Amino acid sequence: QRLKAAVHYTVGCLCEEVAEDKDVQFSKQTIAAISEITFRQCENFAKDLEMFARHAKRSTVTTEDVKLLARRSNSLLKYITQKSEELASSNMEQKEKKKKKSGAAKGGRTSGEQETAVTESEDSNMA
Amino acid sequence: KERRCQKQVRCHENWSLSAEEFEIWDRLYRIKESDGIKEPILPQTHFETLENLEEISQHEEKATHELSLSEWRIWQNRPFPTFMVDHSDRCYHFISVMEMIELMRLEQGDCGYELELQPHLRVEDVTVQRNKSHLSVTSST
Repeated sequence: QRLKAAVHYTVGCLCEEVAEDKDVQFSKQTIAAISEITFRQCENFAKDLEMFARHAKRSTVTTEDVKLLARRSNSLLKYITQKSEELASSNMEQKEKKKKKSGAAKGGRTSGEQETAVTESEDSNMA
Repeated sequence: KERRCQKQVRCHENWSLSAEEFEIWDRLYRIKESDGIKEPILPQTHFETLENLEEISQHEEKATHELSLSEWRIWQNRPFPTFMVDHSDRCYHFISVMEMIELMRLEQGDCGYELELQPHLRVEDVTVQRNKSHLSVTSST
């Protein structure tokens, strides 16, 4: 519940940005639905990331696994790859932020993805 | 049909259809202009918030029938029958969310989901770089 609340909050913030940007409104129920979808999507992501890493005989999820999540859309993949390269060129210490930013590309799944991965998959030491 | 396939193994070694298979396809399955039905196509992925690299559809809109994934949404809050392949977790998530949306459709004003979760929100879990509180977020929208 605590996790869901955090996702809900963040989704609310992101939706508000979109609302201002596009001059549209979201009902509370819409935001709630997006939150729930995000939360559940994190489960899909966490499982996939774990399997991708295991497939490569790793126990640590890397950016390569994250890129695989984005494989279905060329635009998304390009965006994620760009973000990933931007961050890779900066300091190694910023690897944690890398996750944050590549997660942000999926729109709203940011905080959720990290936290879910951390809580749900025992080997999701993503850094 | 299987018998025919076995009989035709020799000319079926190619990836493409044999002359006989082509004749069957052309006569029974191929959509022609005279059929009066539109060619089915699948919707293409499109990202609203990113620049799109995908090639833009070259189909003439009127001659095709774009298969819809949303026109029967009111049916989708329950699992559909399966044959050999079970529903995936992702599919069950989808069904649950459709059911949740169905229940929220009747809600007036306040959102039950929000009320349920609000007590569990911890400030340390979220980025509070924006000054607006969550309440103002949703009430302004």
